[in-house]
Amino acid sequence: MNRPTALGLALLLVAAAPPPPGASSCSGCHGGALPLAGREAMQTTETLLAFRSGERPSTVMGRIAKGFDPSELGLIAAWWAAEK
Amino acid sequence: MIRRRQVLAGGLAAPFVAKAQARARVVVVGGGFGGATAARFLRRYDPALDVTLLEPNTVFTVCPFSNLVIAGGRDFAAQRFGYDAVRAEGVAVVHAAATTIDTAARTVMAANGTRYPYDRLVLSPGIDIVWSGLAGYDEAAASKMPHAWKAGEQTLLLRRQLEAMPDGGTVVMSVPPNPYRCPPGPYERASLIAWYLTKHKPKSKILVLDAKDAFSKQKLFQAAWKQLYPGLLEWVSLSDGGKVTRVDPASLTFETEFGSHKADVGIVVPPQRAGAIAAGAGVADRSGWCPIDPMTFESRLVPGIHVIGDAAIAGAMPKSAFAANAQAKVCAAAVVSLLNGKKPDEPRLINTCYSLVAPEYGISVAGVYRPANGVLADIEGAGGTSPPDAPAEQRIQEAMFGEQWFATITAEVFG
Amino acid sequence: MVRVLINVPKQVFRSIPFEVKVLISHPMESGQRRDQVGQAIPRDIINHFVCTLDGETVLDADFFPAISANPFLAFSVVAEKSGILALTFVDDQGVTQTETVAVNVA
Repeated sequence: MNRPTALGLALLLVAAAPPPPGASSCSGCHGGALPLAGREAMQTTETLLAFRSGERPSTVMGRIAKGFDPSELGLIAAWWAAEK
Repeated sequence: MIRRRQVLAGGLAAPFVAKAQARARVVVVGGGFGGATAARFLRRYDPALDVTLLEPNTVFTVCPFSNLVIAGGRDFAAQRFGYDAVRAEGVAVVHAAATTIDTAARTVMAANGTRYPYDRLVLSPGIDIVWSGLAGYDEAAASKMPHAWKAGEQTLLLRRQLEAMPDGGTVVMSVPPNPYRCPPGPYERASLIAWYLTKHKPKSKILVLDAKDAFSKQKLFQAAWKQLYPGLLEWVSLSDGGKVTRVDPASLTFETEFGSHKADVGIVVPPQRAGAIAAGAGVADRSGWCPIDPMTFESRLVPGIHVIGDAAIAGAMPKSAFAANAQAKVCAAAVVSLLNGKKPDEPRLINTCYSLVAPEYGISVAGVYRPANGVLADIEGAGGTSPPDAPAEQRIQEAMFGEQWFATITAEVFG
Repeated sequence: MVRVLINVPKQVFRSIPFEVKVLISHPMESGQRRDQVGQAIPRDIINHFVCTLDGETVLDADFFPAISANPFLAFSVVAEKSGILALTFVDDQGVTQTETVAVNVA
């Protein structure tokens, strides 16, 4: 009884892993109707790469994805996948 | 999977709990998009932190979309947000203005008479109007010629004036030189007022007198004006003699070097500087704005104080709500690193800014930024505006995305 | 032809200086800049400006590349009687333009 509570408290106290460069800006738009948190990392990476190359049409995402190289986009996607 | 994470978390928790007893103190001044975000993310990045947010208003009125309120296309109540969620995150929200900052003793004095000590201070004071910056324009004049550049009573005043104006009247708006809060804001406002006039007072005109020759999203705005508001909206650039040198609130007159313009509704977007507390703390330079280290947003002038949002000199990043929110998160991470004796990571920041030319006609500008040569610089090849030749559906889509952005960002900051 | 805005007071007084304000829409390309492919952009500035009152020179100035685009000039003139103020300027392309405005002495 005591132990799970302590663990739960510990979970709350642990700071989230620091976001990789650029990742913390995403939630300015994403959340609510356009969630990123918990989204599968590979899927997000592929979407971001398709925005970056222009293969997938977009309004702003192409302009934003071009500011990152593929590995940076992968890190951002992985971080969001681990977010709750 | 969940079990594994819990075990892992349990193992990592000890040092954080131990550190919790140290209770590093961070004071955040200003509860807008920058300050409220910073306060919340400081708590998220280090739940052991003691975070106090000083903000005089119990209900905050946000600027984005307030131009649509002015044009009668949106409810004022949609602009208003409280601080319950910020409190629920463990931030001590104190509704008192910061009055003086003692940088040697590292304390902030608030209007409630309490002194708040800090290990690090985050200033997000937004803008103040430079009342001496335009001849004839002072606080009393603002009740005749509203600026509505801080949303609130001014927004409603301008709305009432537009409603009361007879058809055939002239709205005149003066725009200052850069920098000022929300670079495309004056042009969005002109557009939405033109939209209102087209619908309700089609014999009226709006004249924009500008101290600049170029502005944000200019091509997109001008193409849309030609299409939507021909003959109704006129923009007079600096080199066309548009720079306003004096206003007369009694007669609602704008004077330029080459003539004067009488208004039925007169709007002054006034010259601005960082919120007064910044100058008081010694973090503003002679420009009136605050130079910062782009890695951490720490002041170049006073160590231990970080400045974010409109008050900061953020290089290529514009003074926008999105930018303030993005900077706040980077700054919060850097403050947590510094308090824990770690070197902050090099950040990357994004800005996205939507403007409405009409309620269903949106345009955007985006940018990606990183520190380079001591300032936040544009990453080349990224960013830019909506394409000039985009189909009508994309304008509708961007108007929708703008609304979604508002819902999401206000939920992150206040919800 | 470039656009020129001129402002003199509607009425001036004999022997009392009045202010003339002029705004010329000109790119004032300094010659120091390069275009996107690295080619130098040729200099194109207003290099000479003269103001006369009824033919008598009241201001004669050489301009240099440090003067900004769309130059704004303000200077004082004294008139003894009503007359015509003429502003003439020449740019690097050899284009000469003259604008005139009446001065009414009370």
